[in-house]
Amino acid sequence: MTVRWPTADLDPVRRLRALAAGIPGAHVTERVLDEPFAEVWALLADLEGTFGRIEPDMRRIRVIRTDGDRLEARARSRFGMRARFDGTLRPGWCWLQSRFLLIGVAAAPEPGGGTRVALTGGVRVPGRAALVPLGVRRAADRALDRLTALAAGTGG
Amino acid sequence: MSDDDARLVRAAQSGDTLAMNALLDRLTPYVGRICAPIALSDGDDATQEALIAIFRALRGLREPAALFAWARRIAVHEAIRVARRGSRSDPAELTEVPEPGDPQLAADIRDVLTRLSPEHRAVLTLRDVEGLDEHAAAEVLAIPAGTVKSRLHRARDSFRKAWTS
Repeated sequence: MTVRWPTADLDPVRRLRALAAGIPGAHVTERVLDEPFAEVWALLADLEGTFGRIEPDMRRIRVIRTDGDRLEARARSRFGMRARFDGTLRPGWCWLQSRFLLIGVAAAPEPGGGTRVALTGGVRVPGRAALVPLGVRRAADRALDRLTALAAGTGG
Repeated sequence: MSDDDARLVRAAQSGDTLAMNALLDRLTPYVGRICAPIALSDGDDATQEALIAIFRALRGLREPAALFAWARRIAVHEAIRVARRGSRSDPAELTEVPEPGDPQLAADIRDVLTRLSPEHRAVLTLRDVEGLDEHAAAEVLAIPAGTVKSRLHRARDSFRKAWTS
């Protein structure tokens, strides 16, 4: 007879906390939205559409290639800077890295209802797993404000 | 541990967060298998705490080939810490870990685990999940081998007595 050992699960938000812990300067901003996971994640996973309204610096993203959950994308910020991103996109999880930028997004159903969303990211320190910690909390709060409005149907 | 894992560790240490992401994919099931039997209902918290500790310390890992053994040590200690923090006031009923192959383990492992202290659960997990002997388990737990031995079963009857009580 096989012993059925207990198992643990790491939802995407917990996963983001763990990964961000290894990146000095990274800050994780979290918020619980009332809407169900499927609705919230549909807004975040639409990289070429609604994602750009949540993260205005990334409003001109084009996905160039996908391979399973891996993807390559190009983006142009509102300041005109271009960036090539590599990363992964799967339900509840988006992790994109360019030479100078990092974007991490996670979402998971919240026990009791709603969806917990977590954001991290910022400007990378070259040659190190580290971020410049300037303005990231404010930017993440604003992104979550826009997501909240979009999810509630008041985001225009 | 594959060459690929060692390559990922080196890439992560040099700042590649995509490599960190891939390492997290590989480490999560392994760390969860260690943390869940030790921390039980706090297994998800313990897994998160262990992975946070692992990624915070990753830059200091000098031997990438030792990734899983290094992660195992951190996971066991974090799981014991979280289990102690969240432990109910009930004292452990079992003072020795049952023998390998004891049918009661297969019958209801969760019941056996809840009757053991977090430290005893760690010994059982290292022996039966990780396949370590007393000396290797003692090294992971940073305790004398004699202490591990005393936590392991030497009197099958005492376990059976507790089980049937």
